[in-house]
Amino acid sequence: MAYRILILNGPGLADLRDDEGHFQRGLTLARIRDECARLCRSLDMEADFRQTDDQQEMVDWIAKDGAGFDGIVINPAGSSRAATVSLPAHLSAFQMKALLGKPVVEVHIENIFSDGAAGAQPMHEPEVDLGFVCGLGVYGYLIAIRSIAHRLHSNEAH
Amino acid sequence: MSAAIYVVNGPNLNLLGTREPEIYGHATLDDICNRCRAISEKHGFDLQFFQSNHEGAIVDQLQDAIDNAEGIIINAAAYTHTSVAIHDTLRAFPGPKIEVHLSNPHVRESFRHVSYVSPVVDGVIAGLGAYGYELAIDVLIAELKTNSH
Repeated sequence: MAYRILILNGPGLADLRDDEGHFQRGLTLARIRDECARLCRSLDMEADFRQTDDQQEMVDWIAKDGAGFDGIVINPAGSSRAATVSLPAHLSAFQMKALLGKPVVEVHIENIFSDGAAGAQPMHEPEVDLGFVCGLGVYGYLIAIRSIAHRLHSNEAH
Repeated sequence: MSAAIYVVNGPNLNLLGTREPEIYGHATLDDICNRCRAISEKHGFDLQFFQSNHEGAIVDQLQDAIDNAEGIIINAAAYTHTSVAIHDTLRAFPGPKIEVHLSNPHVRESFRHVSYVSPVVDGVIAGLGAYGYELAIDVLIAELKTNSH
């Protein structure tokens, strides 16, 4: 059975603008969704790509639907440098358990540290198998998906 | 001469594969170097893979990159959290540069939460293990190829 990946996009991501920097050209959420779908198909995985401007709705998706997926990509809120989502604060212990042992990757389109580290708050979940990618535009999502596939396949081998 | 990618590694990464493998994995730095080299050569890039435990030697290598590299991958390891010198040298490099960490510093001790490297690179890849280097090389090459057209 094909692995299933949940790709969650938080507030503000429906309206992306081009940036000048490396890795940032020609970005729209539709392009990101299409490139994620294409990569997942080539890896024989199913992608469920979602966006919401309501952070609580995103947390609800994780809580209600997370257990049905093999890996999760989370962009808590693309352009906001103060973007953060605290999973334990929103999820019950039982719901957190659904994420344990599952590869989760936090992705930000921009480099959330470019103005210095003070404003940026990456997710801090020592209990979760949590990777982090920022500043690489659409590549960040593709990296997250490839790393999840790699992790799932190496788990199979052991 | 083909275009060069510099991969610069900081302190203790020479111990990879033996030091706390539950955190850093079982791949050695040579394994990582070989995988990065295979990808780079396939795409016609020369790979300079470097490791030092000495801050000044890392600064020297990054200065060399300013003259000779098209792109940089930097894992400054523990110097990530202390080195203004590495920050300054990276800032002077105009091409694409990606910070890589094997583990995710943000889920570890609070003294690892501040990076002097992150504000002066384009992007960060952390917590994806040795595979993070291969992904970084792929993305760097994709960016360099896009830019050259």
